[in-house]
Amino acid sequence: MNDNTHITRTQSPARPAANDGNDGEQDAADAPRILLNPSIDIYETAEGLVLYADLPGVNSEGLDLQVQDNRLALFGRVENTMEPMEAVEAVHQEYQIGDYLRSFILSDEVDHEQISARLNNGVLRIELPRTARTEPRRIEISTD
Amino acid sequence: MPVFRWGQHWNPLRDLEREVDRLLQGMNLALQVRSPRRFPLINLLDDGERYVLTAEVPGVELADLEVTAADGVLTLKGLRKAPPEARDDSFRRQERFQGAWQRKLQLPDRIDEDAMKAEYALGILKVTLPKIAGSAARSIPVMEGPS
Repeated sequence: MNDNTHITRTQSPARPAANDGNDGEQDAADAPRILLNPSIDIYETAEGLVLYADLPGVNSEGLDLQVQDNRLALFGRVENTMEPMEAVEAVHQEYQIGDYLRSFILSDEVDHEQISARLNNGVLRIELPRTARTEPRRIEISTD
Repeated sequence: MPVFRWGQHWNPLRDLEREVDRLLQGMNLALQVRSPRRFPLINLLDDGERYVLTAEVPGVELADLEVTAADGVLTLKGLRKAPPEARDDSFRRQERFQGAWQRKLQLPDRIDEDAMKAEYALGILKVTLPKIAGSAARSIPVMEGPS
């Protein structure tokens, strides 16, 4: 499952699409979904920054990444892959099932146009390359 | 790791607790107080006929996953590789577990080990553990012994 994820740039105020999507028709009856803070790693490379986020249960359709101004927002909608079971009892529960939401402030160094992301085995990898340094440009001065 | 808990669990407060947990984690207070985190986190459901275990192992590759069962103990083993090209001193933030991990789980009932099934998708390992159908209770006649 190697999916190139889709990054949208929004003009409208960033509303990580929690409940404003068209795909929520069956949610109304469901219990309110909880939001979790995904664990992340951020590290520097020669090209810029790389961000990893743990999003178990999220596929590329359920992932929404938005860059607006200097803010990167990620929202991951968890698919329920369990077939319905009858009379289910939770014997032991260590994690909660919920959607993931987290946002980051990007430094000015990051080239927003070059951000790319990839989702693989429930881990999102976002590459945030630095803008290329512009060479100093000499300005010729002419005299009248 | 929950940071904030009321003593009693009742539903109206649960959402609030979760939200406060999430906020506290976001503020990074959790990092200062948290004990070494277990990895992976596991849920176990029982529907009467079988158990369904799910474990969150995002980023683990299928080839690095191992599930074994013996003598009523289920063992999950695997390896989560560190992000490539990352050096220890290049991290600005590091919250994700990396390295080899193992968890053992005592199964509460007899399991039909031949009919166990494991699937892996989207970073979630799911193991189905059918119970061995219990035989009907057999009544044992009590004889009068020699006195």
